[in-house]
Amino acid sequence: MELDSKFEKLIKGEVQYKSANLGCNLLISRLQRKYDQDSSQEVLNSCIQELKTFFEKYKVISAKDLEEIAKL
Amino acid sequence: MFISLEETKKLIAEGRLLHIAGEEKLMEQLPRGNWIGGTTPYFITEDGGITSSDKLYVNEIDFAADFKAAIYDKDNIMNITKDAYQNGVTLLILPFASEVAVDFSKEAPNSEELLLTPIVGWISGFNLETGGTAKAYNGTMGAGYNNKAVALHIGLPDNKFASIGIINIFKYNENSDKIEFFEDSLSVEKCLVNGREVNFEEYITKNNIDTKLPLISDYNSVLVNISIKSVSKENHTVELYAPVFAGREYRFANPVEDYHDSFVKCLKDAGSSNPFFSCNCILNYLYGDFEGKPTKPYAGPVTFGEVAYQLLNQTLVYAEIIE
Repeated sequence: MELDSKFEKLIKGEVQYKSANLGCNLLISRLQRKYDQDSSQEVLNSCIQELKTFFEKYKVISAKDLEEIAKL
Repeated sequence: MFISLEETKKLIAEGRLLHIAGEEKLMEQLPRGNWIGGTTPYFITEDGGITSSDKLYVNEIDFAADFKAAIYDKDNIMNITKDAYQNGVTLLILPFASEVAVDFSKEAPNSEELLLTPIVGWISGFNLETGGTAKAYNGTMGAGYNNKAVALHIGLPDNKFASIGIINIFKYNENSDKIEFFEDSLSVEKCLVNGREVNFEEYITKNNIDTKLPLISDYNSVLVNISIKSVSKENHTVELYAPVFAGREYRFANPVEDYHDSFVKCLKDAGSSNPFFSCNCILNYLYGDFEGKPTKPYAGPVTFGEVAYQLLNQTLVYAEIIE
C-alpha cells in the first residue's frame, strides 16, 4: 500500500524517478502521458496496476528501483 | 563477427542459433537453419564502419534455453508479445517502409504488453547508391520477406535476464522552441510551436533548421529521436522516419560538432557492457562519417531504424544478458 501511494505520485508527476532500466523509464513516461490524457481514478488504478505488474515480472532486477521509489 | 558467406554457411550447418545481417545477394544464398536475418550493406565492425557486399555480420546466440522464429504482418505484429517467452528476449527485424514496420512504429509505444517483453531489433535496408529491396529472413523456413517482420523469440534460463540499452548522442536545449503535434503521425502539416499553431514545414524553412538534427522527446530521462525524412515546400508537409505522438513535447536537437567524438564520449559515459547484439542508425553512419571508425564494444549492422521496445531513430541500440 505504501508503494501504491508512491506509484500514484509518480504517475501524477508529483515526484520524479529516473531508472537505469530503459523499459522502466519508457513505462513511467507512457503512464504519465496516459494519466495526463485522462485523469480519472479508473485510469490511475490501471496505471498503478501496470507498474505493479512490471515490477513483479522483473522483481529480481528491479529491487533497486523499488527501494529508491519507496524513498520518494 | 564479420565473416564471409562460406564461414556463415558453416556456422548454420553446425546448427548454431544466429542473427545475420548482409546484402540481399548474400542473404539469398544462405541455407535453412537456426537463424533470422535482414538486409543491409552497411556495418560498424570491431575495426570500424564499412560498406560491404562480400561479408555478413553474424551474432551467435549461445545462451538460449529455447527459441522459436515467427513471422508477423501488419495485422498481427502486436501479437509479438504473446509469442514471447515469459523470461526471454525477442530479436525483431522489419523491412524498411513496409506496412508492418509502419504499424509497429505507431502501435508499440501505446502497447500495455510491450514493455513486459524485452524486444530489440532493427529496420532492414539496402544500398542507398545502387538501390535494392529491404528484407527480413526467417532462416528456419528459408524464406525472405519485404512485407513481413521476422522475430526470434529467445527463452532464457531462470538465472539470466535480458537488458536493453540505447546510446543517443543528441541533446536539446530546454529553452529552445517546444513543438507539439495534433495526432500520432509519420507525416506532419500543422503543429504547435510554443503553443502557437504553425505549418511545420514553414517553421523549419523560416528558421533554417538543419534537418539532419532529429526532434527529441523526453521519455522520463530517455531521449527518443525522431528523424526528418523529407521536407516538401511544394506540399507544405514534413515526412518523418518514426511517428510523432500527440500529447508529447518535442524539441530539435542541438548541433553536434563532431559525431564520432560525441559517440566516443557517450560510449565512455555508458560504462562497460557486453552486448550480444547491437545496431546503429544509417543516419549516424552517414552524417558522422563512420567509415573505418569503431564504436567498441558495440558492433553490428547499420540500420534504417532501430528497435528498443519501440522504433527509434539516429540511435545505437544494444542488448545484453545479465545474471
